[in-house]
Amino acid sequence: MNKTITIDPVTRIEGHARVFIDLDDAGALKAAGLVVNELRGFEKILTGMDADRMPLVTARICGVCPTAHHLAATNALDNAAGVEPPPAAKLLRELMYMGHLVHSHCLSLFVLQGPDLVLGLDADPAIRNVVGVVQAVPDIAKKALRCRSIGQKINELVGGRGTHPVTSVAGGIAFVLDADRERQLNAWIQEAHGLVLELAPVVKQLLMKMLDANPAMLEQWVIPAWSVGTVKGDGTIALVNGEIRAIDESGARKAQFPTADYDTHLSESAVEFSYMKQVSFVEGETRHDYRVGPLARLNVSDRYGTPLADQEREEFVRTMGRPCHANALQPYARLIELLYCTERAQEIMASPEIHGETRVPVKFSGGRGVGHVEAPRGTLIHDYEIDENGIVRAANLIVATQQNYALINTMIAQAATSHVINRPDDQALLNAVEFGIRCYDPCLSCATHALGAMPLEIVVNRAERPHVIRRNC
Amino acid sequence: MSTIPINLEWLSDCSGCHVAIVDLHEKILAVLESVTIQRCPVLTDVKDYPKAKLGLVSGAIRTEHDRHAAIEMRKSCDLIIAWGSCAVYGGIAGAGNVHSRQEIIDAVYTGNKTTGTHTPPTREVSALEPSVSPLDSVIDVDLYLPGCAPHPAFVFDALLALLEGRSPRTATGESVCARCRRKMEKSDVDRIRKNSEGVPDPDRCFLSQGYLCMGSVTLDRCMSPCPLNGIPCSGCAGATMQVLTEPNRDIRTEIAERMSRLTEIPREAIVREIERTAKTHYSYTMATPMIGEKPTFLIQKWTDEERDDYEQDHNH
Ligand code: SF4
Ligand code: SF4
Ligand code: SF4
Ligand SMILES: [Fe+2]
Repeated sequence: MNKTITIDPVTRIEGHARVFIDLDDAGALKAAGLVVNELRGFEKILTGMDADRMPLVTARICGVCPTAHHLAATNALDNAAGVEPPPAAKLLRELMYMGHLVHSHCLSLFVLQGPDLVLGLDADPAIRNVVGVVQAVPDIAKKALRCRSIGQKINELVGGRGTHPVTSVAGGIAFVLDADRERQLNAWIQEAHGLVLELAPVVKQLLMKMLDANPAMLEQWVIPAWSVGTVKGDGTIALVNGEIRAIDESGARKAQFPTADYDTHLSESAVEFSYMKQVSFVEGETRHDYRVGPLARLNVSDRYGTPLADQEREEFVRTMGRPCHANALQPYARLIELLYCTERAQEIMASPEIHGETRVPVKFSGGRGVGHVEAPRGTLIHDYEIDENGIVRAANLIVATQQNYALINTMIAQAATSHVINRPDDQALLNAVEFGIRCYDPCLSCATHALGAMPLEIVVNRAERPHVIRRNC
Repeated sequence: MSTIPINLEWLSDCSGCHVAIVDLHEKILAVLESVTIQRCPVLTDVKDYPKAKLGLVSGAIRTEHDRHAAIEMRKSCDLIIAWGSCAVYGGIAGAGNVHSRQEIIDAVYTGNKTTGTHTPPTREVSALEPSVSPLDSVIDVDLYLPGCAPHPAFVFDALLALLEGRSPRTATGESVCARCRRKMEKSDVDRIRKNSEGVPDPDRCFLSQGYLCMGSVTLDRCMSPCPLNGIPCSGCAGATMQVLTEPNRDIRTEIAERMSRLTEIPREAIVREIERTAKTHYSYTMATPMIGEKPTFLIQKWTDEERDDYEQDHNH
């Protein structure tokens, strides 16, 4: 009799995702994985629409990272039309994106991982949530939430809207920066930077404390894999424009290519138990699992290019090594990016070019357009075939979470092996699976969604007697 | 102070409606003081459907799971708000309705250019329903709050209004034009332009310039951010009350009427262009069987015709 263990729902994403673990008669692992239970089919939905609509419609793939889709789409359209947006437009797009990342990273760090960091992994789940954080460290929590708010406001002021921004268009940006907006942006960016400077050491200290208390995180919960991210020509990290770089487990550079060549390097495959496909990196006959996201970006790039972020990066590399495969350090990498974002936003505002023209006219005369950005959770690629009337005839999308999917499933299998099979330790299983998944911060609306601590229910069928482990939060 | 228990749920959607509520920023505290959030996939870990006074449901019905969740919400809540264009009209997922379920599966799993495998998932997942449906095709809805996402101010007002037992103040029947500052002026433009063509004048109505702005037929649940920031409205909040309730008004004829008066473009040419690009102009509302009194099956026909034309042109 086969045994099935179901963890349902994995996060606050019931209906959208759950975890299962299948054991065979001998108690050995047969299969384990994260089930994503939603499919809207954007690759079909987009066909037959005006190419102009892509930045607007694709934002609706995900309400958590709409700005990433908005900009990946405009990059693809610029390439399809063969236009180069004016410098001011590129800066404004990047600024919109810095706002978005501040919002998104603060949400991840303080709302998702904050509870683990502040209250500890073994805290009572009833209080291990953002409300618990607010009660435990009200001052820090208030600043963190304010910082998220400002990030979103910057995104909105430049993008026209916060959730589902609208101003980035093929050929540039649809408005010209005026003095009022400029003043407001400067004020917000200063405030956000100040808050990040206050918050960064606190978060880092909390993270180190958690790692001290849970040495397994750095010793056992480590999955060596390739890393993929985006860099400029000189190896500096790039978030909205650049080439895709891949390194192997040891850090050796394996490939660097322009976005349009992604289809010769990346290969998707369907997973029998999930609507989400996984992606591997193809090297000759071999397929490699890889990670994307803040940690992968730190691994592949040579520098951030802003002083404070680079200083912290050196500290990271000195203490943790590079490439780093400890998922527990994902929040540390995210924190460095947060520093980078507020530093970079200041540079953008200080650039005289931001005041120029923002848009060039565009005509689609038929052809392919591929564009990408580094979404908060990793590389995001849009690929369109556009006809001579400007209508999209085919579309292909590869989103961040898909690319971490193989590693998420490996992690679940590891947790199952170490915590279920020979050692039926319920609490340890819950912790390992929960913590492991959250480190990847899977955005499942780009397939669906995950925010928050995890309510877990594991049904273990042993000799047909169901044993339910439940953690009600 | 006694608080009102509410449940939130998301079906097939992008979760943007839930994220947008966080953008009430400081005001969210005022809401949190008067309600007790029970089930809420973003914030709490309540897995079942406790009894609640109010239920907010975002998202369309795409899978069997969505249908089940909608029914559970109806059973557990006294009042149900269809929250966001996905719940009200099927939203962007509904644009999948001009394709069969099989075509969608093919695009993703069997005929996808970077996908090496050729089989869709076979276990653990809920089956897709044959087509996408809006919430009220499955359960009764008490209040409709379209918008993609509705601006937090409207959500805030709707919640407070329901809590205070009054009708919402901000949710008027005005169109996106009401807050737009562009001037409708007569011009000699004689041709419809694509949104990416040229660089539009920032002060003039898009219609005057030959761009198909949907503002005049779209309900304002967003504060008109698109025309205020240089982008024609693409109708993400769905049709206005006039279009919904007056039998002789319709999205394409309304726009054509207005635009042909403002420009030299013939009314018929505008109607034809909107029909030809139906999937672009009705993207957010295609899953609803009726927009007001007007059946939407024609949208399917227009889209099919356009696709057939394209395939004919390119197959010889
Ligand atoms: S209405 Fe728009 S914002 Fe809301 S869930 Fe649907 S797609 Fe997302
Ligand atoms: S049609 Fe569009 S541009 Fe013209 S007034 Fe209305 S919203 Fe503004
Ligand atoms: S202006 Fe139109 S497209 Fe823009 S948010 Fe409002 S309804 Fe949606
Ligand atoms: Fe996402």
